Amino acid sequence: MIEAVNLAKHYGAKTAVGGVTFTVKPGMVTGFLGPNGAGKSTTMRMIVGLDAPSRGTVTVNGKPYAKHRDPLRQVGALLDAKAVHTSRSAYNHLLAMAATHSIPTKRVNEVIDMTGLAAVAKKKAGGFSLGMGQRLGIASALLGDPQTLILDEPVNGLDPEGVLWVRNLAKHLAAQGKTVFLSSHLMSEMALTADHLIVIGRGQIIADAPIAQILAGSQQAKVRVRTPEVTRLSQLLGSQGVQVQCEENETLEVTGLDPRQIAQVALQNQVLVYELMPLTTSLEDAYFNLTKDAVEYHSQEFNDNLPAPAAVKGL
Amino acid sequence: MSTTTISSPGRATGGSLTFAGVLRSEWIKFRSLLSTRLLLLFTFLAVVGVGAIAAWAQASSLELFMKNGTGMGMPGTTPEPMTLEQAQEFGNFNVYAIPNAGLQIGILILGALAVLLVASEFGTGMIRSTMTAVPKRLPAFFAKAVVLVVVSYILTLVASVVTALLAIPIFKAYGIDFSFGLDGVVYSILMGGVYVAGVSLIGLSLGTLLRSSAGGIIVLVAVMFLMEIGANLLSLFPADFWNYVVQYVPSVAGGRMLEITEKTAFISPLAGALIFLGWILLFMIPAIISLKTRDI
Repeated sequence: MIEAVNLAKHYGAKTAVGGVTFTVKPGMVTGFLGPNGAGKSTTMRMIVGLDAPSRGTVTVNGKPYAKHRDPLRQVGALLDAKAVHTSRSAYNHLLAMAATHSIPTKRVNEVIDMTGLAAVAKKKAGGFSLGMGQRLGIASALLGDPQTLILDEPVNGLDPEGVLWVRNLAKHLAAQGKTVFLSSHLMSEMALTADHLIVIGRGQIIADAPIAQILAGSQQAKVRVRTPEVTRLSQLLGSQGVQVQCEENETLEVTGLDPRQIAQVALQNQVLVYELMPLTTSLEDAYFNLTKDAVEYHSQEFNDNLPAPAAVKGL
Repeated sequence: MSTTTISSPGRATGGSLTFAGVLRSEWIKFRSLLSTRLLLLFTFLAVVGVGAIAAWAQASSLELFMKNGTGMGMPGTTPEPMTLEQAQEFGNFNVYAIPNAGLQIGILILGALAVLLVASEFGTGMIRSTMTAVPKRLPAFFAKAVVLVVVSYILTLVASVVTALLAIPIFKAYGIDFSFGLDGVVYSILMGGVYVAGVSLIGLSLGTLLRSSAGGIIVLVAVMFLMEIGANLLSLFPADFWNYVVQYVPSVAGGRMLEITEKTAFISPLAGALIFLGWILLFMIPAIISLKTRDI
C-alpha cells in the first residue's frame, strides 16, 4: 500500500511533481503511466526517500519509508538499472545489499536464479547490457521478498522473453496480495499488465481508475462506413444528432450509432453501403487523448515542407 | 538464460536493518573491488619501501655526523665526534619516528581511497542502492567510516612494524642501536595509524560533500599537503605571528601527535591531536548535514 498526499517536488522554479494524491492498493498491479518527464521517476524516488518532497507526504505500508525497521522487506524498488558499482560483480552487489538486512546468502542465490543471472553473476556489473542490468535491478528489488514492489520502467531494454517474465512476475506477486507499482511510458505494456492505472502528465494526475474504465471512458464506439453516397448518408445520419466525420473517399466515421442502426438508416433511404465496421478505441488512443496536453517534450513532425494531407472534417 | 518459470519467491528469512548489517554490507563492498585490494597492497609496499629507504638515508647520515661532527668530513675540517643525540639534533632527525617514515605515501593513497569509497558510489549510481537499503543514510556513512578507520589503522600499524623490523638491521649496519625499546618507537608505531585513519575520515567527508572523486582528491591534497606549503610561505612575512600559523594546519598538527618531545614555542602533541580532531570535524559535520538533507 502506497499513499501519497499532496506530494510535490520543485527543482528551483521548475515543478517536477505538482501536488499529487493517490493510493496504490495491494493485490493488484497498478500502472503509473505518463510521457517522458511527467514526474513518474521523481514520484517513485520520493516514495523511497531518495528525494525529499517539497510539499506533502508519502507513506508505504502506513509509514514513511525511512521509518520502517526493515525497509528492504517492506519495499523492493528498481528505480534505475544503473544503480550499481560498475566494477563489482552482480553477486557481490546483491550480497552487500542483503547484508544490511541480514538476508541470507541462500536468498541471494535464489533471486539470481529467478532473474536468470546465474551465468553472469560473478561478472562485473559494468559490463552488463541494459537488459542484464535491468534483471540485476529486479533481483535486488526482490531480495527482501518485499510487501510492496516499485519498478520504474522495468521492461526497458529487456528481450521479449524478459518482458513476458516481468509481466508474469508482476501479476504473480499481485495475486499473492502484494502491492505492485510499475511505471511505463508505453500504454501497450500497461494494457497487458496493469489492473489499475494512474496517469500522470506534467506533474499532475490526469486519471486514476481501473484500466477497463479508462478504456471505456474514452471509448466512444465509432463505426467506419463505406458508401458511394458520402454526402447524402452523412446528412441523413447527421440529422439524427450523431457525429459524422468524412475520413477519405467514400468513407465515413460515425460516432454515436451502432452498425445495426446505421444499416437501418441506409436501408430506409436506399443508400448503398458496402462496408460497416465497428472501430474500438485502443488503449493507445485513450492514452494519447489523456496526455496530449500534458506532453512536456513534443517531438517535431517530419513534414519536410510536404503539404499536410488535407483533412476534410464534418462536411 | 532461461527465465521462463517463476519460482515462487522464497521466504526471505532476513531480519531488520541493523548497524551491524550495514557494517557487514560496507565491508563486503570494500573487499569486493579488485582495485581496492590492489591499492591496499601497493600502499603497504610503498609505505614500507619509503620507510626502509628513509631508514637507510638517516642511518648513513647519522653515522657521518657522529664520526665527523658538523664538518661532515669535508676536506679541511677536523672531525669532532658527536653523540647520537647531538647528531639527531644536528640533522633534525627523530630516530624513533623511523617506523612512520613512509606515512606521507599512506596518507595520500588511503586518503584518496576514502574519497573514492563514497564518491565512486555517487559516480556509478550505487549510492541510490545503498541509500534505498539504508534510508536513514547516516548509518551507511558511519559504517564506511568504521571500515576506513579500521583498515587504515591496521594497514599503517603493520606497515610501521615491518618498517621498524627492516630498520633494525639497517641501523645496525651503521653501528647505531635501533630497537622497539627505544623511547617513542612503540608510541609512534601505535599513533601513525591514528593519524592516517583521521586523514581517511577527512577523505570520506570530502567525497560525501563534493560527490566527485576528482574534486574530493584535489581538495584532500590541498588540505593535507598544499596548506602546509602555503603556511610555510606565510612565515616569510616579518611579524612573529606568521611563524605560528603553520603549526595549526592539519598535516602539521596531525604530525605533531606522533612526536613525544616538547618543542620550544610549539604546540604540545596533545594540542596537535585536538587541533587535528577539529579539522576532521570541520569536514565531517558539513558532510553529515549534506548527506542527510540533499537528494541522492
